[in-house]
Amino acid sequence: MSVASVLGAFRTLRLVDPCTKLVQVQIQPRRWRLKENDRRYLISTTPKVDLGTQGEMIGQIDTARRGDEMYPDADTPKQIFNGIAFSELPICHIKTSKNNTIISVTDYKNQPMVYHSCGLEGFKNARKGTNVAAQAAAISTAKKAITKGIHSVRVKIDGLGPGRMSSVKGLQMAGLKIISVTDSTHVSWCPPRPRKARRL
Amino acid sequence: MPVRHRHAMFIARTVLVKNDNVDEAMRMLNRIMGREGLLDQFRRTRYYEKPYQVRRRVNFEKATSVYNEDMGRKIQLVMRKNRLDPYPGCF
Repeated sequence: MSVASVLGAFRTLRLVDPCTKLVQVQIQPRRWRLKENDRRYLISTTPKVDLGTQGEMIGQIDTARRGDEMYPDADTPKQIFNGIAFSELPICHIKTSKNNTIISVTDYKNQPMVYHSCGLEGFKNARKGTNVAAQAAAISTAKKAITKGIHSVRVKIDGLGPGRMSSVKGLQMAGLKIISVTDSTHVSWCPPRPRKARRL
Repeated sequence: MPVRHRHAMFIARTVLVKNDNVDEAMRMLNRIMGREGLLDQFRRTRYYEKPYQVRRRVNFEKATSVYNEDMGRKIQLVMRKNRLDPYPGCF
């Protein structure tokens, strides 16, 4: 490899120092504009989509202590919250996916009472799949639910998506009291063959 | 009509919200799901994983677990408390 080819990988920058009027020469590595590298750079720098899984990677320590009662037990269904037994509280089903968030409130017998989604809220196309849309949809759902006399709910979340955390936050912001949060994401270890992998 | 579930609904995978702290409850739920490997499995099954990818992943997991086990043993050795010299290797 010749000297010229080695030096070709670098770019010289001449900068004039305004105080001393001296010319400084800086050598910087030249950025090769290769297609492959550009794509990798693009993928590595694009921000990751928030799927509402904050707290997933927090270490091995469980902060819940025995006195905290963060987890339900055999007596919880009979426990009274706001004058209603836990097992008879209305349920707020939240279905979050990458492109939309669908929220429906039912009573404890799964009779639907309120139904709403990011699309119904007025967001279209890619904007449906944002946490802002999910929060807005959740707020109007909660307002509707309150007019129907629902004040405290159990939340049941299905799927990973931008609305996973923000929609629950929205329900609370509009004044619903959230008693519990349940995950009902369907996870299978022997699913039918999923679709072909995306090529990036 | 009541829906039947394999696990007791609102008992399994459930966190009660304390002091209206929804964020904390959600983080707790996410951590439980992540630690049990449910979120990983969910993400993995969105798209088909080719057999060569499965082999690569499983081999990598095997290697990591072997490394972690050995490293854990080493750390336990260094952290033993009933030793004559409390700082072995130090002067």
